[in-house]
Amino acid sequence: MKNNILNLKLNQSSVWKMLILVLAVSFTACDFEYDLPDADSKADGTPPSALFTYAQGQGSAEEWKDYTFSNLSNSATDYVWDFGDGNTSTEKDGKNTYAGEGSFTVTLTSSDKLGVTSSYSETIEIIEPEEPLAIVPVILEASFEDLSLPDGNGDGRDSWRNDFGGVIQITNDPVQDGSQAAKFPSAGDRVAYQDGIAVTPNTDYILTYYYTMKEGTPGSLTVKVLGGTITDLSEADAAKLGEYVGTDISDSSTYVKVSIPFNTGVNETVAIMVTNEDVECRVDTFEIEVAPEN
Amino acid sequence: MIKYISKIAVLLILVVFTACEDSFLSPDPTGAITSESFFSDDSELEAGLINMYDGIQGINSTDTDDNHGVMYEFYVTEMRSDNTRTKGSEGEDAQFDTFTVEATNGRLADYYASCYNVIYRANLVLDKLDAASEGARGAFEGEAKFVRAYTYFNLVRLFGDVPLVDKEISVSDGEISYTRVATATIYDLIESDLQTAIANLDNSYKGRASKAAAQALLAKVYLTQGENYVLAQGLCEDVMSSGYSLEGNFKDIFYNELNNEIIFAIEYIGDVVDDSQNFSSEWLNSVGRTSGVNYVTADVREALDAMGGNRTMYSYRQDATQTEQYQVVKYLPNGDESLGILPTSSDPTKAGNDWIVLRYADVLLMHVEAIMAGASETSNSAAISSFMEVRDRAGITDNVTTITKVDLLNERRVEFAFENQRFFDLVRLGMAEEVLSAFSTETGGSFSSTDLLLPIPQREINLSNGLLTQNPGY
Repeated sequence: MKNNILNLKLNQSSVWKMLILVLAVSFTACDFEYDLPDADSKADGTPPSALFTYAQGQGSAEEWKDYTFSNLSNSATDYVWDFGDGNTSTEKDGKNTYAGEGSFTVTLTSSDKLGVTSSYSETIEIIEPEEPLAIVPVILEASFEDLSLPDGNGDGRDSWRNDFGGVIQITNDPVQDGSQAAKFPSAGDRVAYQDGIAVTPNTDYILTYYYTMKEGTPGSLTVKVLGGTITDLSEADAAKLGEYVGTDISDSSTYVKVSIPFNTGVNETVAIMVTNEDVECRVDTFEIEVAPEN
Repeated sequence: MIKYISKIAVLLILVVFTACEDSFLSPDPTGAITSESFFSDDSELEAGLINMYDGIQGINSTDTDDNHGVMYEFYVTEMRSDNTRTKGSEGEDAQFDTFTVEATNGRLADYYASCYNVIYRANLVLDKLDAASEGARGAFEGEAKFVRAYTYFNLVRLFGDVPLVDKEISVSDGEISYTRVATATIYDLIESDLQTAIANLDNSYKGRASKAAAQALLAKVYLTQGENYVLAQGLCEDVMSSGYSLEGNFKDIFYNELNNEIIFAIEYIGDVVDDSQNFSSEWLNSVGRTSGVNYVTADVREALDAMGGNRTMYSYRQDATQTEQYQVVKYLPNGDESLGILPTSSDPTKAGNDWIVLRYADVLLMHVEAIMAGASETSNSAAISSFMEVRDRAGITDNVTTITKVDLLNERRVEFAFENQRFFDLVRLGMAEEVLSAFSTETGGSFSSTDLLLPIPQREINLSNGLLTQNPGY
């Protein structure tokens, strides 16, 4: 039955004509060429923007030559790194090991799939990091000499004056070096104190000085290294980094050398404080040096 | 009747118009409390302070519209490190495992909103300080500023430049809500807030702000910025002489709450709906809403086995039902008989385990980091003594003569595993890109350097009318 109906329809000439027409139209339609939009006919609404930051490697060996680059580009899919030393990469994040010191211009070219590109360059100066040197502390009027302040003035003890006790005396004989030394009478009411001596924190130092005492009378001379600055004598023990109590009364004309090792801890400055008890003492030639590496 | 209608209408209009006085349309509510009228004395301001910690606690629910506060912090920190992952690698939670976090991630939006909600609560107290008595005002200010600084410190480390809200704002202050402010400016506020907290607080509390907590946090702020190392060292030394000490047994840090090692913790109370937490149950096998998150990676198990000492058994355990999987032990809600750990609640989804923010071991290891001062190693004796103190407790007593940066990072990893420190430690010590890209390659993730900052939640960007910009790479 179906075939009969089909035949019936196909035999009708009007149907044939329509079919031909449709075919003709559809074939001619194929000759139409719809122009595709030309390249760049519509702007790239979200063009890439290249950006990166970088960090130098850390470590005690050759890590300073290693650089890592963090890609901070927006709206990009492809990346080309030029590290400025001939090396390149197409990874997203860059990584390069340089041969040595120098100045290199690193360029990141970021692009999207429409072929729009953006470049960003930065010049890095590669320098081998130096071992940070510890500050060599400077003690003013360290040998109690006249006119020895940096400006050429001073009476040998100006840097040691304080409110904690009477001012120290100056002696000419015996001395350890130069022509003057500090003298502490037996009453023990004099105090030498100097603060604000700049140091590197967490560093081992050694304070050295020379002292001598009147023969026969037992007594003591105490030298303290203090962290930071104190405003009252009662704070001295809490701030103490190192201390030596000298009691050598064997020979008043021979100076004895003392070394006090100390670590500066959290302090960026230290103070030196000298006091005595019961015996007349002389002190000379303070010096602080960085302790040798062990 | 009809003839009266016009008169009634006139009368009505009159009534309506005369009624239009301020107090009629916006009367002062007598049956409800508003923030405008509430804060009038010390006890009400103190309620405002407690309200801040309530915000950090978060709401114990599984409703995605609620703010879950610090309960969801592990998603944006620990799960983005090499320490933990989801158990089943499914859903948006797995985005954190593979470094494919999208701006539409719900946990992300939750944490971001929680942070700004806590900041709002702190600003509320700060704006009403005039109502405080002379004696209490300083401490109130210090406490609110500590909480604000703590929250901004998390935001700035996770999102980079973020909007800076330092007072109570309303919906119309869109420009403040949605303008990203440079990280350095945020850090200025954090530092000044913490300095106020240090000056105004004492060490009365562990579940609330204290002077020591502010000192320890400021030390970490300095270390994070890679500056003021000597100040950071001094802050640590101040805390070290404030009476805190290491808990003898590692397990007791977590199961003897508010012990002497705790400097600042967010307290939870088991079985109390409003004061309990649900993260502990989410870290187990299908006990919480998820099938299991914050599961322990093979990478950190290897580290703990090699370097954990007696910390290892109290850090992770095998999942009893899926034996190839491993769970965190530090915050178990339902106990573990074989480890001698008691449940903290009868319903594990209403757990009572506190969340520890700062503890003494952290201060000791920050002390080492401050002395190292950005160098690659130190053999300073004070640093070694702090370092050894932490290791001694773990039963590792071999003598240390030099501490390298990698030693320090490893020690922090096994000491603070699953305490949301790892990600920040990696970034702060400059090792994040190296470690996380290697980890990601091994585990099939797609880490790149832009993953170190989270995306700003898309919801915020949509609300901002184009003001809020996205981080690169998203």
